[in-house]
Amino acid sequence: MMKKVLAITMAITMTFGLMACGSTKTETAEPAAPAETTTEETTEAETTTEDAVAEVAAGADVNGDGKVIVGYISKNLTDPFHAPINEYAEKTLNQMKSDGVIDDWTGILDGETDPNKQIDRADECITKGCDAVIVLPAESEASDPAVTKLADAGINVIVVNSKTTSTDARAIAYCGSNDVEAGKMLGEWVVKNVPDGGKYIHCTGILGNSAQIDRGAGIAEVMSAHPEFEMVGEPDTQWSGDKAANATTDAIAQYGDELVAVICDNDDMSSAAQRAANDAGRSDIICVGVDGNQNPLQMIKDGDLGATVLQDGVGQIAAAINVITALINGEEYDSAPVIPFVLITKDNVDEYLQ
Amino acid sequence: MTGKIKVKSMNNDNLKMFMGKYGIGLVLLLMMVVIGIMEPTFATSKNFMNVATQVAINGMISYGMCLAITTGGIDLAVGAQLALTSCVLGVTITNSGMNVWTACGVALMVATFFGFLNGFLIAKFNMFPFVVTLSTQLIIRGLSQVISGGKAISLTSEAFKGIYSNKFLGLPIPIVILIVISIIMYLLLHWTKFGRYIFAVGGNVNAAIASGVSEFWTKVGVYTVSGFLAGVAAIIFTAKTGSAQSNIGVGYETDAVAACVLGGTSFAGGIATVPGVLMGIFIIGFIYNGMNLIGVSSYYQSIVKGCVIIGAVLLDMVMNKRNR
Repeated sequence: MMKKVLAITMAITMTFGLMACGSTKTETAEPAAPAETTTEETTEAETTTEDAVAEVAAGADVNGDGKVIVGYISKNLTDPFHAPINEYAEKTLNQMKSDGVIDDWTGILDGETDPNKQIDRADECITKGCDAVIVLPAESEASDPAVTKLADAGINVIVVNSKTTSTDARAIAYCGSNDVEAGKMLGEWVVKNVPDGGKYIHCTGILGNSAQIDRGAGIAEVMSAHPEFEMVGEPDTQWSGDKAANATTDAIAQYGDELVAVICDNDDMSSAAQRAANDAGRSDIICVGVDGNQNPLQMIKDGDLGATVLQDGVGQIAAAINVITALINGEEYDSAPVIPFVLITKDNVDEYLQ
Repeated sequence: MTGKIKVKSMNNDNLKMFMGKYGIGLVLLLMMVVIGIMEPTFATSKNFMNVATQVAINGMISYGMCLAITTGGIDLAVGAQLALTSCVLGVTITNSGMNVWTACGVALMVATFFGFLNGFLIAKFNMFPFVVTLSTQLIIRGLSQVISGGKAISLTSEAFKGIYSNKFLGLPIPIVILIVISIIMYLLLHWTKFGRYIFAVGGNVNAAIASGVSEFWTKVGVYTVSGFLAGVAAIIFTAKTGSAQSNIGVGYETDAVAACVLGGTSFAGGIATVPGVLMGIFIIGFIYNGMNLIGVSSYYQSIVKGCVIIGAVLLDMVMNKRNR
């Protein structure tokens, strides 16, 4: 009996507790307006210094709590492409905090490549009173509520690496690279290395992903201008090296010497494909992909892989942090900095290999 | 120390009952106080609302999981159920332009059907629930990839997204759903014949059968309810993200199992309480939320999470033993 009574009491208390929570909202956006009027009313002598302070604060401290807090919602902590990005952000933001440029930051919030979790992390950034939040979206569509939620709360959102649906409308800046360019660089590398042409396959990323669509478009643009090349397959390899390696061995079995190249949407796949080709005694097959992960870079250094197209993730996050610095200093900033891709071959691999 | 004083003043049996069943509540309370002291923004009504909204998805799955574990089984297919229901919603609403509520009904029916299928296979052929649900989750996720073509289907219907963002009596809908389902589950498990059958089957199958309990229908019922609840979770999930995808819900069974275990659900079967599981659900939610607000580096968070779960369960075990 006791048990039941207790359980019911608990349920009721919780319900009421939550109901009470519902009524206390509506504050966030207001403080900005009164702050302006007070600075206008003060005498000229005082304003010279105070005005300057107020303006700077208005630029970065959007919620008017006198602190500048930065949020960082990562895509994940496991992807080799994202590891150096997170590392750079952690180092730089910690430095900014100890230099007093920002008052605090959230630490790296783990998005777990899960839009649901990213939206939850956005809630926490709002709770913590963040003024600017960097988001690396897991999905273009499903992660979008994280961006809109933050923007609705008046927070400056900076989207990095890949766009969400409403990034252009709601975020203050997008720091990424043009994936069509990367696709073109892939195509050009193949054309340059196999002047005679031949058959090739294109291993795709997860279908519908913006990077997959744009890189595919870039590849198609270059390859369509070269009729000596024929695409014989576009396996759905979902960014997975393992699947790309299987697709490569299948294609070698099917087309034999006619297969000259494997173009991949990322270099986890191209390195796995090259390894599969090398193991099959076909090191002449040109495999190339995008990202610049450490493993493919090591293969280039060892001479096992011809080239890879580096997506400068650190450059992207650096650009995003620059936007925040500009906000704090009240300076103008580029709302869509395009970070160029870099073609990495044996000649320049040492600069990027760690 | 205070416990000993209370023993004298309070009815001894009641205290035993309280500590045995709800010792985990103290863990939850302690956790909230500690996080609240370390980070003042944690103890705001807005943050509690956030957490309650966030845990609604895991809450639905955990209740289903709790039933399965109580009968001595497990339901590993819930994550895949999430994906399939989501894709059904995407296909029906966006691709076929079906009415939002009809589509939700269809999606729930699909989820419930696969729950039923799990239960049927487990109960009819006496197969291990672990193996059955491990296999069906592959089938279910595969189906969701087939019907969605592996692509994300965007859901722009405001009525549908409202399931996550709208409010009822000042409470976001996911919280309302969590409260309603919690009450229903409480009544189902603790006040109905079906609930007693679940405990009976989980506690001692042979004794249950000898007393005339249908093992078959109890198990089928349990997995069917689990499927239905995964469907509800998927509706909230899809309304939240505004996108139907076949790659969602991977690993969600882990958090659900953790919530059940924290809530005192015994893997040996036959022991579970709905309020306990509810507290387990909130502990999981507060672990994520609290650590992020305090600023615990994400690299250490899963270690902390694992330690908290083991620690909480250990504490519960120790308290139970002493009070038994």
